[in-house]
Amino acid sequence: MAAEQLIDGRVIEACQQGDRAAFQLLFETYKDKVFSIAVYSSGGDRAVAEDVTQQIFLKLFTAIRQFRGDSEFTTWLYRLVVNACLDERRRRRRLLPWGETVAMSNPSEKKPQEKQYARLELAEAVREAIGELKPKFRLPILLKYIEGLSYEEIASVMGCSKGTVASRLNRGHSQLAKRLSHLNNPALWGE
Amino acid sequence: MFSTHVTKDISAYCHGELSNEESKQFAEHLISCAKCRAKFEEVKLGMKLAEQLPQLSAPDYLWRELEPLLDRPNEIQPVRSTSVWSWQMKAVAAAVLLLVAGWGVWLVYNNRANQILAAKRAWRVTRLDGTPTVGAERISKNGELGVGEWLETDANSRAQIDVSSIGNVDIDENTRVRLLETRPTEHRLELARGKMSAHIWAPPRLFFVNTPSAVAADLGCAYTLEVDDQGSSLLRVTSGWVELELENRESIVPAGAACETRPELGPGTPYFEDASSVFRQMLKTVDFDPDANTRSSALVWVLDQARPRDMLTLWHLLARVNGEDRARVYDTMAALSPPPAGVTREGVLSLDQKMLDAWRDSLETTWMGVGKGVPKPIAEAYWKVKNGMSRRLKDMMPK
Repeated sequence: MAAEQLIDGRVIEACQQGDRAAFQLLFETYKDKVFSIAVYSSGGDRAVAEDVTQQIFLKLFTAIRQFRGDSEFTTWLYRLVVNACLDERRRRRRLLPWGETVAMSNPSEKKPQEKQYARLELAEAVREAIGELKPKFRLPILLKYIEGLSYEEIASVMGCSKGTVASRLNRGHSQLAKRLSHLNNPALWGE
Repeated sequence: MFSTHVTKDISAYCHGELSNEESKQFAEHLISCAKCRAKFEEVKLGMKLAEQLPQLSAPDYLWRELEPLLDRPNEIQPVRSTSVWSWQMKAVAAAVLLLVAGWGVWLVYNNRANQILAAKRAWRVTRLDGTPTVGAERISKNGELGVGEWLETDANSRAQIDVSSIGNVDIDENTRVRLLETRPTEHRLELARGKMSAHIWAPPRLFFVNTPSAVAADLGCAYTLEVDDQGSSLLRVTSGWVELELENRESIVPAGAACETRPELGPGTPYFEDASSVFRQMLKTVDFDPDANTRSSALVWVLDQARPRDMLTLWHLLARVNGEDRARVYDTMAALSPPPAGVTREGVLSLDQKMLDAWRDSLETTWMGVGKGVPKPIAEAYWKVKNGMSRRLKDMMPK
């Protein structure tokens, strides 16, 4: 995949030796993907996602010397990302009053019903529905569609089998479809 | 593995995670199992929705805030909730220098990444004859057709395209095709001119071909599609079904049938290729002649020549002619193959969609080459064997 090709052994080695430019290259390569997962995992809270992204890269920077290449670098990185997102979710659960969840979008900003089916609303609706999935269904979807990982890579990141990844993606897709069945409109998809 | 339902493999199939053999077996099961097809449509919608998830851009200031903290890695605290502005100020000079140095390197790598990404969304092309080209590149043995790229053959060259993991397309001489899209829920080619033969073992509506006068949607099949210099096309289906559509006009074409299309008019009426030449010639007049009287006269010939097998053509004509002509079509159909219970003359003439669908459902078995009244599952199994869709079913048949 693209990210693996971009960051080769020399870049990793330079990072391990404390080369700041190499680390910036690493950051620039992965920041959008890491940030995207953090946003979708934090219920759309960009400020929280920025914190999580920075913490992930700080952890990466401090731990990269221990990276021995036993696994793919991306697997190692996304394991950090997944763990950080799960930790953040646990932390926020403790802070939130019982029953309260973070809304993906401000209800006052909701578009009128007649615009619900407009193309621009689609991505927002999907973001919201993704945020409502359980992490075990959401994270494989994010790793697949945002990071472009194969089932084997997702399995390695999540620490489960390929079959489990296939099953979770299947269930995640089904749940998305059920939540957003009202968007199953050929006109909306340009068909 | 595939003797039972295949619902658990739907995402893996669409993501190309199954082997070719598993994919073929999956598709075979899906075509014959309504339950799995319904689940497939649900998962496919979920996948289409997930594809809408955009990758977001991290704010530019993240690095500026992060960079000074790298010197104090133990201070891993939420950055948003701490005052980092002073650190930003101190780090600006160093960060600018690093940014300038890093930016050049990043651009090079980023360019490489884009090339790799583009290559990932490509189909393998194999030369069959001569020297086909993809863009300006000549294909001597194998090549790749990326999204947006044109594959062209001249009078002496032919090529074969692997359509992801769902089939292949042979490109004949003097043909120009472009890859428009390839993703788990949609693979789409554009055929600007020339001739192609597609062999697809995917579930319905995953593979599409755009032509200047219609879109061919694969319903699990093999077919040839030919486009001339005026943009008109001829579809000939050799197995399975293909749907031709342009805006609100559509034709469903089964194996053994063909259908012509014209720019701006869209698909004509499908017909079985063993129909008489008079029937086919008159049908072309009904479909495409600009004069209404001529079309009406030709329709009389079509109805006069129609056989029970031509109910395929007549059923499509119902919605394409008006008034007395529609009544004539209905009367001919009713004489050849009376409508099923619940389908009335008045309903059909007013184009009641439920009644039209019910009549079509009762006729589909005859379009598959078996008699009317044969239960549909048996007709479908027979049809699959006849069209080579199922090796396992074939193996089970008495020698």
